[in-house]
Amino acid sequence: MRGPEPAGGLDVERFVRERRGRWTRLDALLRDVARLPDHEMGAARLVELVRLYRQTCSDLNQARSYTANPELLARLNDLANRGYRVVYRRSHGRRLADEAGRFFRSGAPAAFRRERTSVLAAAASLLLGIVVGFGAVLADRANGERLIPEEFFADSPARRVERIERGEERIDSLEKAAEFGAFLFSHNIQVSFLAFSLGALTIVGGACILFYNGAILGAVAAMYLLDGVSVFFLAWVGPHGALEIPAIVFGGAAGLRLGRALLLPGSLSAGESLRRAIPSVWRILLMTCVVLVLAGLIEGSFSQLSAKTVPYAAKIGAAAALFATLFFYLFGRRIAE
Amino acid sequence: MTRPRLIVTPEHVEIRLEPAGLGSRFIALMVDLVLVAALSTTVAQLTLSLLPAAPGALVRALALLVLTWGYHVYFEVRHAGQSPGKRIMGIRVVDGRGLPLSAQQSFVRNVLRVLDALPIGYALGAGVSQLDGLRRRLGDIAADTLVVREGRVPEHERRVARARAFNSLRTPRVLRLIRHRVGLEEREFLSSLCLRAEGLEDRARFDLMDEVGRHYRAKLEIDDPHLSSENLVRGLTGILFSAR
Repeated sequence: MRGPEPAGGLDVERFVRERRGRWTRLDALLRDVARLPDHEMGAARLVELVRLYRQTCSDLNQARSYTANPELLARLNDLANRGYRVVYRRSHGRRLADEAGRFFRSGAPAAFRRERTSVLAAAASLLLGIVVGFGAVLADRANGERLIPEEFFADSPARRVERIERGEERIDSLEKAAEFGAFLFSHNIQVSFLAFSLGALTIVGGACILFYNGAILGAVAAMYLLDGVSVFFLAWVGPHGALEIPAIVFGGAAGLRLGRALLLPGSLSAGESLRRAIPSVWRILLMTCVVLVLAGLIEGSFSQLSAKTVPYAAKIGAAAALFATLFFYLFGRRIAE
Repeated sequence: MTRPRLIVTPEHVEIRLEPAGLGSRFIALMVDLVLVAALSTTVAQLTLSLLPAAPGALVRALALLVLTWGYHVYFEVRHAGQSPGKRIMGIRVVDGRGLPLSAQQSFVRNVLRVLDALPIGYALGAGVSQLDGLRRRLGDIAADTLVVREGRVPEHERRVARARAFNSLRTPRVLRLIRHRVGLEEREFLSSLCLRAEGLEDRARFDLMDEVGRHYRAKLEIDDPHLSSENLVRGLTGILFSAR
């Protein structure tokens, strides 16, 4: 302990005068540490920083008990706060590559397995939509035109296949493929995030978006089937659909999980329920983004190749392989959680 | 009402974090949006002029995705919670314990921008943050982060500072002494003295106040020559009758 303070409490002027030097020095060190990497700071200056930080903490405590001067207290609070952030930050030990490795090896699959109920619910909504859309068009062809938005429905499937096979609309040049991929890519992102947002805020809304997209897909499939070009449809949609449809389901699943945490927390507090959901939700969402990027790349290139370049059987086979790989990667292995 | 987040460091010092207001966060966001837009346009122009149109479009789409999502995460993780917009506005994102946020926390709070931005112009996020005492939007609550103001004396404390220009009694030490050494009877006495002072003759009023003032100066160990006796008595009475 230092010697006794003057009888009337603390002499603020003297207090500041005696300590201003160390506060200024700490301020300068904190500026440096924000600017420079640790090895340039050097051990000596880091040790000095920690020492000055501890002294400033004690100054703050002293000042708090003797004065209400807001400028002084705010300044010391600010210094102590900045020092605390540097002294107690996490070590930079883990590298980004290691983090990413861990995420793909165990983090993401574990999250999907933990939240399989939500994934299942989202997949069920989409499947139900597909069945309804498919059935509706089989029952009455005119339903197709009512269900499918204009932009997907320029001309009949049979005519379209013919055109593509003739080569008018073939996207086998890299240029067109890339452009088309870029467009679809942002479209898929929008649908996935819409399913996520509506699921998180309303639960039912997310399920509806999934159902609606499923219904469109089912209706389109039925139209192609009725026109007798179902093989073309599978080859055309398959390779990217094998990733894109799961991605939309994943986005929806993350939304449903978050929605359950926000709206149906049960006996937990809202904050606690959110904290439990978040570790799964962010992993599922990150995986959704990764799958969407892959799907966009495939959709812009491989999917658009016509039968002349790649036989349909090979494309359908590739689609099945992609889907199976994704499924087994996420759900098929034992993972130490 | 906003309330500061109090953190007790391992040194047993309490640090206050003042939540940033809606306005400064919104302006910071606008600055960042303009920067992202400028960067995206630059990247778009570069891909147009450097790359053949073929892979250009795909590179553009990917770059846009990386820029819009990566910009905030990059700055929040690498620059201790400050994007350029936040730096200009003097605010910073920190985690719930006042420490720099992790990459995961940054990803969570930024991916949930999709929710906070609904239905338009961050209306949901703004609404939620107005209800939350720490001014957190959904993304902040989920990631356990908050946006704090830096290095400025908070407004309500400045008001206290103005009040102190007329009253040097409101220091913790003097308040403690007042609590311990001034009784109920004295409180009544002081209030009647203040109420009747108006009716006293100037000379008598000065002498009476001076005597009482000197008494309390000694009793409360107040060593402040700039404080007149009447001001001391009135200040003391004010403190005794203000809600503690």
